[in-house]
Amino acid sequence: MASHGVARVSGPNASVRSEELRQKELKQIAAYKDLVDLVNTKETQYTVEVLGLTTKLLNENPEYYTIWNHRRRILLTLLPTGLVQDSPPPKPDPAALDIVNGDLQLTFALLRKFPKCYWIWNHRNWILEKGQSIFDSASALTLWLGELQLVGKMLHSDSRNFHAWSYRRFVVARLELIRTRTPTQQSLTESEFEYTTKMIKSNLSNFSAWHNRSQLIPRLLEERVADSAARRKVLNDELALICTAINTDPFDQSIWFYHQYLMSTLSPQCAPQKMIVRDLSNLDRQKYYAHEMEYIREILDDETECKWIYEALLCCASCYLEVDGGTEAFTTLDMREWLRELKRLDPLRKGRWEDLGRRLDI
Amino acid sequence: MSLVSGPGRAGMADTPVELQLFVDKHVRYIQSLDTRKDELEYWLTEHLRLNGLYWGITALHLLGQPDALPRQGIIDFLLSCLHGNGGFGAAPGHDAHMLYTVSAVQILATLDAFDEFEERIKGGRKRIGQYIADLQDRETGTFAGDEWGERDTRFLYGALNALSLMGLLHLVDVEKAVEHVHSCANFDGGYGTRPGSESHAGQVFTCVGALTIAGRLDLVDQAKLGAWLSERQLKNGGLNGRPEKKEDVCYSWWVMSSLAMLNKLHWIDGEKLTAFILQCQDPEGGGLADRPGDMVDVFHTVFGIAGLSLLKYPGLQEVDPVYCMPRAVTKRCLGK
Ligand SMILES: [Zn+2]
Repeated sequence: MASHGVARVSGPNASVRSEELRQKELKQIAAYKDLVDLVNTKETQYTVEVLGLTTKLLNENPEYYTIWNHRRRILLTLLPTGLVQDSPPPKPDPAALDIVNGDLQLTFALLRKFPKCYWIWNHRNWILEKGQSIFDSASALTLWLGELQLVGKMLHSDSRNFHAWSYRRFVVARLELIRTRTPTQQSLTESEFEYTTKMIKSNLSNFSAWHNRSQLIPRLLEERVADSAARRKVLNDELALICTAINTDPFDQSIWFYHQYLMSTLSPQCAPQKMIVRDLSNLDRQKYYAHEMEYIREILDDETECKWIYEALLCCASCYLEVDGGTEAFTTLDMREWLRELKRLDPLRKGRWEDLGRRLDI
Repeated sequence: MSLVSGPGRAGMADTPVELQLFVDKHVRYIQSLDTRKDELEYWLTEHLRLNGLYWGITALHLLGQPDALPRQGIIDFLLSCLHGNGGFGAAPGHDAHMLYTVSAVQILATLDAFDEFEERIKGGRKRIGQYIADLQDRETGTFAGDEWGERDTRFLYGALNALSLMGLLHLVDVEKAVEHVHSCANFDGGYGTRPGSESHAGQVFTCVGALTIAGRLDLVDQAKLGAWLSERQLKNGGLNGRPEKKEDVCYSWWVMSSLAMLNKLHWIDGEKLTAFILQCQDPEGGGLADRPGDMVDVFHTVFGIAGLSLLKYPGLQEVDPVYCMPRAVTKRCLGK
């Protein structure tokens, strides 16, 4: 249906299959339809045999969501029901453990081939939740720790996989929830923050990692019970990190979005729970804005053709004006010049730059 | 009735400079999709039949050829996918799910067939509405896709889309749904699948669409989101779905329709985008692909044509950016 990145075959005979190929395809269709019919005629039989048939069919077509549903109906009859409240945690039933592990293996193998198929991710979630509800917390913890490893591997092979990042946050939340019932350390915020640092250092353009970092910072500060000095240190470290990144590749938009994020936390309008430093005075703000503008302007000495620089300067300038209308750090003429450069370098977004000029009234 | 499978297989490597929309070719391409039963792909995409039908019918209506597929056949097929609980499956024998139920409602709306549906299934419209409403988690405002519980802003948007077309929005807690969407907003102004998820053009479309239906665009950081969306346009005119990704016709639709809902379509270069979409056509077999030179499919065909309509390409029916349906249809259903 939605094919992505599959090259079109051209030439006059491209649409004509050889008779041999046609016959082969017809045989494949017949075999596939037989399997579908077989599974569907046994729709009400909740047995290991039919479970095996659904495995076979899902391996051929993991998008067939009804078969995943059918599989779950079978699993529900094969697995024990959930824990009875207040009963002592049972040891995991070996047969149940086998079933859960079997479905983890099945979905793992399929995800390697179809990393973006929603239904496979969905089923993996379901079997894990199911496992968690019937196992003791030590076994459940082992399950989710395995997931964290797995998602690490997936992000290693595709560091921008949207599903994998989302799944990582989900797994971390599960692990933290289980750990609240055990004496071990609960939060994974510090180690997840470290993880984003590692991912960014191996590839500065990894916007997914920058995004996750922005999500983790408020929690990190909260959990560290950071005082004003500690918060200022985090802000300064982040600004230093992004400054290095900007100097490394000023054409990378991921970096500039993160820079915008840091700038937005300085604003008096920023929601308190999102602020990095909570007791900034307007004088502090001016110092930060001036510092950012200073080094960004320095890049212009070597690089005049990068639109992101002018956009950032205008953004910092308009923030600056909000806290100090009479600043002499830059002039309206400077701002006009930056806007002119933006229009020259980025004609695709001409309409946006015209609106910006009107909004800034320059 | 299938309009899903059957990627085109012909095509020229070089596209002519002065591009035009091959209306007749696209109509014939869509009509041909149900005749490909000797291709394995046809059978492997059965789980998308109803979506495919919505894509194909919408494309035909926008092309000004609403009668190119048999109306009665479509309605009969729709009914064969309906379950007793009011939900629709992808095809006969497939389980009910939000995604197909929304497509079914959109098709009924486009064909102006709600009355006919009601005649054949007494209280049918109400039953569909109830099926959708029951998928809402009243505590969090989110929607599940089906009884198995996966939650995603796609389903929330679909629910508000279908319910508003049937005039049944009151069956759900719109305010709670809005709160949930708002909690998915990110620092860049965009939205993800759930709170904390990275912004993604497809999810931005669903969240901005849901907020538009709910009349709550005031919650959107419009300057930031508009900026983020406009940065999706690449030098070749096409739009991508996230920073540093490749351009694609389907993402082009999600980005530009979101910009249109924010009244900021002029923040990107429409002429270049038009040229990019036209280059994605298969000039021989009809249909559009994700990007120039690739296999076509009906999914990219409808989003390409809808995109051209939004860009005011001459001769096309006007599209509604919120619903991806003809504007005349949504006007009739919504009364505005
Ligand atoms: Zn696409």
